[in-house]
Amino acid sequence: MSTPSKPETRTISVDYLARVEGEGSLKARVRDGKVEITEFGIFEPPRFYEAFLRGRRFGDAPDITARICGICPIAYQMSSVHAMEDILGVRMDGALRELRRLIYCGEWIESHVLHAFMLHLPDFLGYQSAIHMAADHRDAVEKALRLKKIGNDIVALLGGREIHPVNVKVGGWYKVPTKKQLEEMVPNLEWALDAATWAVEFTAGLPFPEVEQDYEYVSVCHPDEYPYNEGRLVSNKGIDVPASEWNQVFEEVHVARSNALQSKVRDRGSYHVGPLARYSLNFEKLSPRVQRLAAAVGLGPTCFNPFKSIVVRCLETVHAVEEALRLIDTYERPTRPDVPLVVKAGEGHGATEAPRGMLYHRYRLDDEGYILDAQIAPPTAQSQMSIEDDLRVVLEASLDLPDDDLQWRLEQTVRNYDPCISCATHFLKVEIDRG
Amino acid sequence: MAKPKLGVFKFASCDGCQLSLLDCEDELLAVADAVHIAFFPEASREYIEGPYDLTLVEGSITTPHDLEAIKKIRADSKFLVTIGACATAGGIQALRNWKDVTEFTSYVYAHPEYISTLETSTPVSDHIPVDFELRGCPINKWQLVELVNALLHARKPNIPTYSVCVECKRRGTSCVMVAQGIPCLGPVTQAGCDAICPAYDRGCYGCFGPMESPNVTALAEWWRSVGVDDRTLVNALRGFNAYAEPFREASDVYAQQA
Amino acid sequence: MTPAQVLDRAGLDRLIEALSARGYRVLGPTVSDGAIVYGDLASTSDLPVGWTDRQEPAQYRLERRDDEALFGYVVGPQSPKTRLHPAEVVVWSGEKTAQGFAMAPPAEPPRYAFVGVRPCELAAIAVQDRVFLGHERDAVYGRRREGLFLVAVNCTEPGGTCFCSSMGTGPAAVDGFDVVLTEVVDGRDHYFTAAAGSERGAELLVEAGATEAKKGQAKAAAGLLEAAAGRMGRSLDTTGLADLLRQALEHPHWQEVAKRCLTCANCTLVCPTCFCSNVEDTTDLSGRRAERVRRWDSCFNFEFSLIHGGPHRASPAARYRQWMTHKLAWWFDQFGTSGCVGCGRCITWCPVGIDITAEAAAIRDNREVL
Repeated sequence: MSTPSKPETRTISVDYLARVEGEGSLKARVRDGKVEITEFGIFEPPRFYEAFLRGRRFGDAPDITARICGICPIAYQMSSVHAMEDILGVRMDGALRELRRLIYCGEWIESHVLHAFMLHLPDFLGYQSAIHMAADHRDAVEKALRLKKIGNDIVALLGGREIHPVNVKVGGWYKVPTKKQLEEMVPNLEWALDAATWAVEFTAGLPFPEVEQDYEYVSVCHPDEYPYNEGRLVSNKGIDVPASEWNQVFEEVHVARSNALQSKVRDRGSYHVGPLARYSLNFEKLSPRVQRLAAAVGLGPTCFNPFKSIVVRCLETVHAVEEALRLIDTYERPTRPDVPLVVKAGEGHGATEAPRGMLYHRYRLDDEGYILDAQIAPPTAQSQMSIEDDLRVVLEASLDLPDDDLQWRLEQTVRNYDPCISCATHFLKVEIDRG
Repeated sequence: MAKPKLGVFKFASCDGCQLSLLDCEDELLAVADAVHIAFFPEASREYIEGPYDLTLVEGSITTPHDLEAIKKIRADSKFLVTIGACATAGGIQALRNWKDVTEFTSYVYAHPEYISTLETSTPVSDHIPVDFELRGCPINKWQLVELVNALLHARKPNIPTYSVCVECKRRGTSCVMVAQGIPCLGPVTQAGCDAICPAYDRGCYGCFGPMESPNVTALAEWWRSVGVDDRTLVNALRGFNAYAEPFREASDVYAQQA
Repeated sequence: MTPAQVLDRAGLDRLIEALSARGYRVLGPTVSDGAIVYGDLASTSDLPVGWTDRQEPAQYRLERRDDEALFGYVVGPQSPKTRLHPAEVVVWSGEKTAQGFAMAPPAEPPRYAFVGVRPCELAAIAVQDRVFLGHERDAVYGRRREGLFLVAVNCTEPGGTCFCSSMGTGPAAVDGFDVVLTEVVDGRDHYFTAAAGSERGAELLVEAGATEAKKGQAKAAAGLLEAAAGRMGRSLDTTGLADLLRQALEHPHWQEVAKRCLTCANCTLVCPTCFCSNVEDTTDLSGRRAERVRRWDSCFNFEFSLIHGGPHRASPAARYRQWMTHKLAWWFDQFGTSGCVGCGRCITWCPVGIDITAEAAAIRDNREVL
């Protein structure tokens, strides 16, 4: 899908960006060895979530926003319920809070393994897809599928189904599982601990391009825990604010060049959310096992090579499996599945860690609990400028590759981010200039 | 016999329905053995041109570009199946159909002039003939496997169109509306999800769209008689299958009264 | 029936234990998610101790009693049908082999003992016996029915939608049980009068340590049952009803019901005698394995009456009429008995409260329009 090159100008365009959830396209125009334009757009028609959320009741938000992304619905449910609970002045404690971490563990396992093995690994090994890859690596693919399924099993048990689960609600849950139900997952999770460890070792042995980027990493940070649902927004370049100040620190810009709404640090520029950011900002909160494993595969407490995100995803999978086992071990079924709510007007914020990075929600409610105003900043939109930075750097470093290989390398660069493009509700269809 | 060629396409949607295929962890490799996955950009960068023996279409039609693209996909497809509430009913984004899209655009985007969109979000079947519809938000992955399976073996797919209540009773869930007073759309909603919501102590919210002979008015009147206000009722009907005719028409009636 | 005996709660515990020891899977009423449903019993403490149910059309609520009665409620949404005629069952499965095709035998069902079955449920089992065993023996039902042990409990407090008196099926059980109990709670005096209906029932009572009932105890139980017969929440005048309905096929009232009917099938699924099912054949992706699965179906479902050219009961009116006339009229022709036992489930569990007794009365009251 690349056009023939002219001596001084080379236009590379990728109409379909495969193996991302949603469809994107990128376009780069190169002149005299310099990258002149890098454009990264998405074939994702606007769906207007923020607009039609207005007039819906607060309790609808977790169900509706889940539909922004079929691959990380839990993230949308978590950010929306926390934002609503912020308005209503309730906090989840004890088992209700722990179950939310547990369902997030399930989503991380499922999403990370899907991405690392089904969507990203084929790039490293030179296959069109995991299904092509299975012809030569059937054991690895089968193992990964089983691991992914165990993540899905957690989501399905707690949520009712894997995609768009039904059990999360503002104020807690509709129904809480019994200890016995959770314990039935333990043997599989014990197997998963070994399998995820294998995944780390396997992916750490892949060939990685030597790229280091001076990212501004942003993630949720909690004083005691590796972040899922709670904490401040922190960066390695000085940001340290509560979620309620998202709009003071970041801004969403509608850039004509790329026809996309994307986020930047005010007066500064791009930033990067996702596994690399979480890992580099919260390394010491990872379990000792994961820290040891990282050291054993040669990864320090920070990582600035975007291609190594695949290893970090697998490390986070180990962490999520361990965390799930711990949560099940200490679980005691609460007497009530939820806490009582008193509806009131107000504004609230929720920032949680989707598998692919921090997801921010803000809502304003009227005194009957109907939504007046909604804002959603998906992780892919937040990382988008960072993706473009990477594309520029990788492109400049790879200009001597033939078009097809170059195109593939650029796709791989985008896939480093595990972009959930459907969730980036602001991404728009790109008009491709074919040169 | 050559393996049937599978093409997977998407329009406005969350990708969850096509993801269901990748969520068939135990069956995925068997599916890949049975069909030739020729175009499935979410899973593979390979692009093999049509015609496709089986085409799965996810998502609703919301842009001028979609209107053209879906016709080409139809022309390239032998058996075309729409999957999920977006493709079969317009999805949650069909809520725009009651609103002013220009206002929506300027609410969300700083530069509405960059946006190319239609006034409405509509099901695929409004624009091309569709051979089969798989309902759900998301679809049930077992129904997808069943459909592929049935097509492979030239038999009728076992996809019921009766109410969610049938699945509730088979599952042994006590009716949440009768026993707990929780408003539930199950009696007017098509089965297929295995009646998940009532099993989790909440009412069905209509993911699978209207059942075969939905009496929405009778259910709505019952909801009202037990104290559900019209605004709540209209919002409930205007969910993931809001634009499906029986839900749409009833919601319009109660919206006028609200 | 043997002379009246008596058990206390500890005796009932011994009875449950003895059934378990005989290899039965013991099921009885248990509280689950806001309703009383059949669940596993290890002892009487698994029963809905101190609970009652308040039932009205489309409404069922559990409420606390002011005593520790074990059976102080009537029937819930489930009946023994859920186990004898399972909602979903693999009839057979098979696999391609080098020689052709090998069938796998169906799984062996558990031997069930029900404790707390109500007289209307016994009547329903008798109806299903005629349906499934009367002409051809249905293997799925037959294998589950043969091993069945039934400990019935008479109803001393009929519910709001009960009308077993009208149907002649209760509130006291006459036959069809191995043991029948009547619970008496009189201040601090709490006992169960018991009678055996079979030899194995008599053996079980001995094992449970039943003693001969005192005269006052038997009399107290009889008095409660007599009073109960007059306290039904509903009634159905069955005089000439079957003939009336046979002649009422064009009655305008069917259209009136259809305005309210959701065609959701709930009435048929909770009905303890409704037996319709659907059979689906499935294959796996490789085409090597096949399975035949039987699932509950309903005359309210479109496909149920689908024949060449479309469903022949397309309108909701036709579907409701089919169900009610089958239950109260055609069933006599087909099986020599009423299809309705007066348990009231179709009234309670209809999401919009359509009441078979009221609809039948409406047709009777307006028979002149025909």
